[in-house]
Amino acid sequence: MEILAGSLSAGLLIGMVFALVALGLTIIFGVMDIVNFAHGEFLMLGMYTALLTAQATGVDPLLTIPFAGLVGFLLGVICYLGFVKYLIRGPMVAQLLGTFGLMLVLRNLALFLFGSEDRTIHEGLLVGQSFDLGMGIILPATKLAAAFLSVISFTAVWLLINRTRIGKALMATALNAQGARYMGIPTERMNAFAWGIGGATVTMAGALLVNFWSVTPYVGLLFTMIAFAIVALGGFGSIPGAFFAGLIVGLITELPGIWDFIAEMTGFDWMASVPMTSFKYTWVYLAYFLIMLIRPRGLFGWKH
Amino acid sequence: METLKNALDFSDFPRLDLTLAAAVAIFLMVFPFFPHSSFAMSTLIQFLMFSLYGMGWNTIGGYGGQVDLGKAQYLGIGAYTTAVMLLRWDTPFWISMPIGVMLSVTWSFIIGYPLFKLKGHYFAIATIATSLVLKDLFEVWDLVGGSRGIEILAGKYQTPDFLHLIFKGDDTYYYVILLFFFTGILFMNAFRKSRLGFQLRSIKDNEDIARSLGINVHWAKIKTYAIATAFVSAVGSFHACYVKNIEPEDTMSLDISILIALMAMLGGAGSLWGPIIGAAVLVPLKSYLKEWLGAQAGMVGIDLILYGAIIMIISAAEPRGIWGMVDKARRRKRS
Repeated sequence: MEILAGSLSAGLLIGMVFALVALGLTIIFGVMDIVNFAHGEFLMLGMYTALLTAQATGVDPLLTIPFAGLVGFLLGVICYLGFVKYLIRGPMVAQLLGTFGLMLVLRNLALFLFGSEDRTIHEGLLVGQSFDLGMGIILPATKLAAAFLSVISFTAVWLLINRTRIGKALMATALNAQGARYMGIPTERMNAFAWGIGGATVTMAGALLVNFWSVTPYVGLLFTMIAFAIVALGGFGSIPGAFFAGLIVGLITELPGIWDFIAEMTGFDWMASVPMTSFKYTWVYLAYFLIMLIRPRGLFGWKH
Repeated sequence: METLKNALDFSDFPRLDLTLAAAVAIFLMVFPFFPHSSFAMSTLIQFLMFSLYGMGWNTIGGYGGQVDLGKAQYLGIGAYTTAVMLLRWDTPFWISMPIGVMLSVTWSFIIGYPLFKLKGHYFAIATIATSLVLKDLFEVWDLVGGSRGIEILAGKYQTPDFLHLIFKGDDTYYYVILLFFFTGILFMNAFRKSRLGFQLRSIKDNEDIARSLGINVHWAKIKTYAIATAFVSAVGSFHACYVKNIEPEDTMSLDISILIALMAMLGGAGSLWGPIIGAAVLVPLKSYLKEWLGAQAGMVGIDLILYGAIIMIISAAEPRGIWGMVDKARRRKRS
């Protein structure tokens, strides 16, 4: 029972951060139908930004989120205006490979600048502390704070898109770019804005993640795939979908714990001998594949 | 018979192309007789291997327009089949390679059937997902050595061993893969004029119209996917014998899948020469960048930054590839 409760709580907490990781991808995809392979690399840069700012200035890593968001916003806008704008005129294969090139550049730039060693945050207000709620639910303070701040950021972005003028213009561009242009919406600027928001949310997620996840230049690909799975599950372009799918994917990554629980309950020895932790992320990929086959537009999807 | 005639018939190309192609073919055939560095030799072998992968990808990705980013899984299946069979049962390459191809094609049918219900981005990402699932599986599977992989010890065999494809120098490997290469070109030449080739091009242009003409779109895609798979798997088997040390990370990673697609796109997807041109540009570029810049202290990653930047520029500026540029220039000249 304790294993199960522990796994479920850990899965939900990490799921909230995953949701924020995927938010940017779903916005960008919803607005302009482009899949960004460099998404995980944005996250990696967010992690480095938070880590290095915290180390340089001595503030708590959790307080670097606004700065990381700003860096991400600029990064997104620069990527759009300097590169993606030209890319979207080409066929789909060029878009996929172009963002793959962007991913290579960002990843190796990080390798060049920061080196390949694992880096973790060792000090901070919350590092090392945890709340024991009993029943095997141990909530590390950093994860709890990250999940909480993730929900706040998520809500802020949701409000920005659904309750403000600029958000409405963004939705109009997503639904019908040509129609939006006739209505006087600067769609080009809206695209850049979508990339900015996408970049900002994912770097903020990185700033949260770095509190309990070590960062290397190669960390990105895993999160790109996780984000793809979340976006597919939630429905490409759907914001609430990304949130709930993030929670589900968070639970999927905790499947090994749930598996152990079942093995313990049923007493099947063969179950305990399966190396489930090696397949931690395999289930995410498999889930993506199955979701695409059963329900291609995802749980909340409106665009496909 | 008709197929063979088609395969040998290159008459629909302009004379300039054929002259150039013949010159390149002769150069490739006599290259080992000239003094060369071993680095140049291995780069050339890499070039031949990647142009074969690219040709395979070109059937489904170029002619069919289905962006497949999971080709590395078949490279892995081919390479592992050959390596495991060689180590366990001492099976000759010429038997294990067709078995590897059969396994790959079977697997491609199993996942191809559901995969091709998807379109566009969804298809592309799903191919990545299947490839990563298989890679994860291979990393924990003891029979294939887990994440440490398999090593073929060449010392056990009396070189040159044509049966098991174990040689001492690179020269013999070069001629083996060159043979594959020419066979591949002939096959592709027949393919592009075959019924399936025409069906695919019409699917790429407009799937609904293709269906209305009575083409079984789903089945045509699956068949072509199997052809592409066979190419990659066969060369994967060769890869196992040539490299002799295979791990999931360097045979089945996403980078390889993307590189394969990139070669074909860079050269010009959907043309006979495209993947070859792409490989001829990209493979030497990558290995020489690594040779010049990758090894220098304090310059880690610079080669891949440049490489990535080149990919970005090409895909933004000329998404139809080098062959697309040539085509455009020719059309302008004619009009």
